[in-house]
Amino acid sequence: MKKVNLVAHFNEQLFKTDLKATDKQGILEELVNLIVENKFIRNSEIVLEMVRQREKLGSTGIGKGVAIPHGRTTATSEVIIAFGRTDTPVDFDAIDKKPVNLFFMVIAPPNDSENTYLPILGTLVTTLSHAETRKKLTHVQSYQEFLGIFTEKIYD
Amino acid sequence: MIKSQMELLVSLQDLDLMIEEAYEVEKFGFPTTGCDELKKAREELASRISKPFLFRYKRLREKLKRAIVPVKNDICLGCFLKQPTSVGTRAREDDQIFTCENCGRILYWLE
Repeated sequence: MKKVNLVAHFNEQLFKTDLKATDKQGILEELVNLIVENKFIRNSEIVLEMVRQREKLGSTGIGKGVAIPHGRTTATSEVIIAFGRTDTPVDFDAIDKKPVNLFFMVIAPPNDSENTYLPILGTLVTTLSHAETRKKLTHVQSYQEFLGIFTEKIYD
Repeated sequence: MIKSQMELLVSLQDLDLMIEEAYEVEKFGFPTTGCDELKKAREELASRISKPFLFRYKRLREKLKRAIVPVKNDICLGCFLKQPTSVGTRAREDDQIFTCENCGRILYWLE
């Protein structure tokens, strides 16, 4: 699996460290709304339907306080990553049954010409498997600091 | 709540791609034990789509993995042919299927 420079896919408008939602559905809605309000996608219903249905396949809460809701939709032409964090961890039906406070929503078009979607998912999972990275993300305050976390290390 | 037939069709393709790609994301550690539940949800969604819409989608999916493609700046992102502006205007107003004259895919206008 090729490694992807995640920084190239982040956007300051899609960085939110004070998510307000207190449950899984609320988190999905808040992240989709963040993407729509910032005009990355026009149709919130289609994207919300897709991420909700995706959770039926299996929770995207991959454990250790991290969830990566993701999927492809025809409602976008580019890969979008939104980062959100809650002060209080939320029950996300994660595989380790622990609540989640770090969320990366990845939305991809049906066909991304550079084939970055799956490598982005893989790189995110690998990067977030490091306890030090999760700890930094839990305390990160600014977008620049956030970018620094993903540029300071090249993970194997 | 999704209401238009075209949006339901887009959602159906989103689910079809999700089901097809389940094995790929499983490799990253995402559980996919709910595949049967997702397939049931797909059938439920399909039952809300009118027969003519569903028929055209199914026919295209027999030939193409992506039967519906986004249109951005009037460009079909399936074959990159520029679409007539008048078609885009009609597509945004009418809940109908519009296809690319070049590649035949169903078009979904992003803007």
